[in-house]
Amino acid sequence: MTRPPVDPTVELRGITKRFPGTLANDAVDLTVRRGEIHALMGENGAGKSTLMSILYGMERADAGSIRIDGREVTFGDPSAAMAAGLGMVHQSFKLFDSLTVAENVVYAAEPRRFGLLDRAAARRRVRELAEEHGLAVDPDARVGDLPVGLRQRVEILKLLHRGARTLILDEPTAVLTPAEADALFAVLKSLAAQGRTVILVTHKLREVLEGSDNVTVLRDGRVVARLVTADTSADEIASAMTGRAVDLDRVHAPGTPGDAVLEVTSLTTDAVHDVGLTVHAGEIVGIAGVAGNGQSELVEALAGLRPVASGRVTLKGRDITHVSATERRAQGLAYVPEDRHAVGTAPAASVADNLAMGHHRTSLSAKGLLPPATVRTHAGRLIERFGIKAATPEVPASALSGGNLQKLLIGRELAHEAPLLLVEQPTRGVDIGAIQNIHDQIVAYRDAGHAVLLVSAELSEIRGLADRVLVMYEGRVTATYTKDEADEQALGLAMAGGAVAPTEAVD
Amino acid sequence: MTHTQIPRISGVLRSPITFSVLAGLVIGALFLVGTGADPFTAYGAVLTGSLGADGIGSTLSTGTSVLGMALALAIPLRAGLINLGGDGQMVLGGITAAVTGLYSPLPAPLTVALALLAGMAAGAAYAALAALCENSLGVPLLVSSLLLSYPAVSLASYLARYPLKEPGSSLPQTRAMPNGVALPAFGDSTVTIGLLLVVLAAAAYWFTDKRTAFGYEIRMTGLNSRFAAYAGVERRGLTLKLMSVSGALAGLVGAIGVLSFPYRFVDGSLTAPGYTWTGLTAALLAAAAPLGTVVASFFFAVLAVGGLAMERTTEVPRELTQVLQAIVIVFLAARLRFPSGWFRRRSQTTSQESPQEIGAA
Repeated sequence: MTRPPVDPTVELRGITKRFPGTLANDAVDLTVRRGEIHALMGENGAGKSTLMSILYGMERADAGSIRIDGREVTFGDPSAAMAAGLGMVHQSFKLFDSLTVAENVVYAAEPRRFGLLDRAAARRRVRELAEEHGLAVDPDARVGDLPVGLRQRVEILKLLHRGARTLILDEPTAVLTPAEADALFAVLKSLAAQGRTVILVTHKLREVLEGSDNVTVLRDGRVVARLVTADTSADEIASAMTGRAVDLDRVHAPGTPGDAVLEVTSLTTDAVHDVGLTVHAGEIVGIAGVAGNGQSELVEALAGLRPVASGRVTLKGRDITHVSATERRAQGLAYVPEDRHAVGTAPAASVADNLAMGHHRTSLSAKGLLPPATVRTHAGRLIERFGIKAATPEVPASALSGGNLQKLLIGRELAHEAPLLLVEQPTRGVDIGAIQNIHDQIVAYRDAGHAVLLVSAELSEIRGLADRVLVMYEGRVTATYTKDEADEQALGLAMAGGAVAPTEAVD
Repeated sequence: MTHTQIPRISGVLRSPITFSVLAGLVIGALFLVGTGADPFTAYGAVLTGSLGADGIGSTLSTGTSVLGMALALAIPLRAGLINLGGDGQMVLGGITAAVTGLYSPLPAPLTVALALLAGMAAGAAYAALAALCENSLGVPLLVSSLLLSYPAVSLASYLARYPLKEPGSSLPQTRAMPNGVALPAFGDSTVTIGLLLVVLAAAAYWFTDKRTAFGYEIRMTGLNSRFAAYAGVERRGLTLKLMSVSGALAGLVGAIGVLSFPYRFVDGSLTAPGYTWTGLTAALLAAAAPLGTVVASFFFAVLAVGGLAMERTTEVPRELTQVLQAIVIVFLAARLRFPSGWFRRRSQTTSQESPQEIGAA
């Protein structure tokens, strides 16, 4: 997919940004040409976000220059960057849930009539843009009611409405189904074909290989590789990112299931209908599905954080359908929630305090006392055992990288040695290096004879870890596969609602 | 290692609290200059008036009430709960203590103890009612505690004006406590055992916060309530417990007020000095941390008492100290801090980014 060289649209030269203790960007050069889809890759902490923040006017570089369309610019804030034709879709969308699509799209750049918002014009504008770029979405729908994939379209429409010629997308597929991701890339390709430029910040190899023209890889704040996508391979990019050869898509050996630990019969709660499943000791059961099909609700109900409408849940034969979260933990349940910042940790609290949660009433305390020294020792132990990189146990958890925070969370929960572990999206937004570590930990936990229920939107993760795979679609378990049957095609189809009885799918 | 030491020191210097207090003092000085007074004389008068031999007693007795209310507000605040009903709980505690003191058949020392306990129980029960309103009716605590406060204050006022009114008096006050029904005072000062009780409460709060599992749960709930709930901390129960303790402390302050000079319940005398709001201010200033709350309470007691002295000696109105308090709060709410490099312009950043910023200084 080589194109004739065109003048660069975005040119970063020698961008250097120093934070205390780290050189986030060290003389980074990035050249993106008009009409290309350029992937910016790197592990967490490699400097991708800093670089994009600088480009988008959110951070000021210590040194270096930015040229847009050949003109040197300095952006004091994002609105200056927008005025220069840049637009960014952040990982967490910046939309008003209670407003309609049209209102969101025109926000802060409203078509006006007699000084008032011209709603008809706004709707018209959204329809035009949507049609022009193949981003079908109902202008009158409330954003809060839309699935994530459509919300992302709204974000893109917003940028197009403001006339962005260069679109920066930060981890755009983290929340999408494979099919939605494909649709997104079709849109991006057509935008690129019209002469717009796309910068894709991501760590997913597959989509980079399929969707981009060129790749720039950052590691430790430096550019370590500039690759033409057509001439490279997943292994080459991965080893550039990590600095060593990485074994991608490992499939772990199956476990040896023992007695049933968790038994769920026709469980119904918000967004979950009539779900039945069993997890045995020494077994990882994977739940695949696109985010928002009831997996989170199911796990919350199992963890005791969401009331059960009907059905029955037993843990080691004891009925826990209606008992509290604390009681469940006492009976042998540990839980790694999906949202590690909002639920799984208190980012403002120290690493030691975060590691103590759940242990603070059991192993760490006696007669209600919780001596700080015990909390520190416990933290030190887990930090060492799980290889958490923290300057001291006293630093706030917010100072940890995503991967380290996840190690903290998983380490804390594994340390309960509970017979049942619920894990949600264990490696979302985590480095390749840390992913391997986390996967190894989960498999080792299973091999020690514990039951694991794994929820993941990442197919390779499900296939690599799970001994059995269930697919959830619209709140129901619509398909079940053994490890051998669970190939990407069958799972992808079932996740999109087209569950068929698993047949021998030949590559 | 310098890595941990330097951020700690510069972190304290650059904390929003230091900034707020200093900014308050500087702006207060501008006010003083504007009214033609000498800021140094005025501030000097505040200090000598509150910490000098004549003022320290008054500062400590004011400090008793301020610290008591500050603790009452800080304890729920530590878990992110705001009790705005301090006035009502304090006044109910006061009137209950007064009734107990007047009608208890027990000997005086026991009556004092009983009155204190009754005052605490009344405050606790009333605060628990606000908690129940949130827990079972879904009324936000902020609203339920504040709104419940008014009827309590009015009820106490009614009692002091009609059924319990001192016969023959023109003031809305109850009869004086019987002989001996009073908190022992230190020497002939107005400082009573009440100060000791409140300091004990502060010590208990410090201990709970630092060294117990319950205190840990409170802190974690304050830092991230979803995190605490995820690990099994039951929010409703916690709200109820913390509000009860909070109300008990407010009731204690009321009871102490009745059992020390003027040894009776006088309508309005508990609420007029604004202990609840000063206490809330102190708790906010300290972000509800135990030691910080004590220090901040003392600071505000000094301001309140010293402000009176300043008015006497320099003719600067004592309202200035309230202006000072207000400025401190406004700055604190804005979370302003000294910039990392004094002459380097830098936009405000979120607290998550501050560790990096601090070291950059």
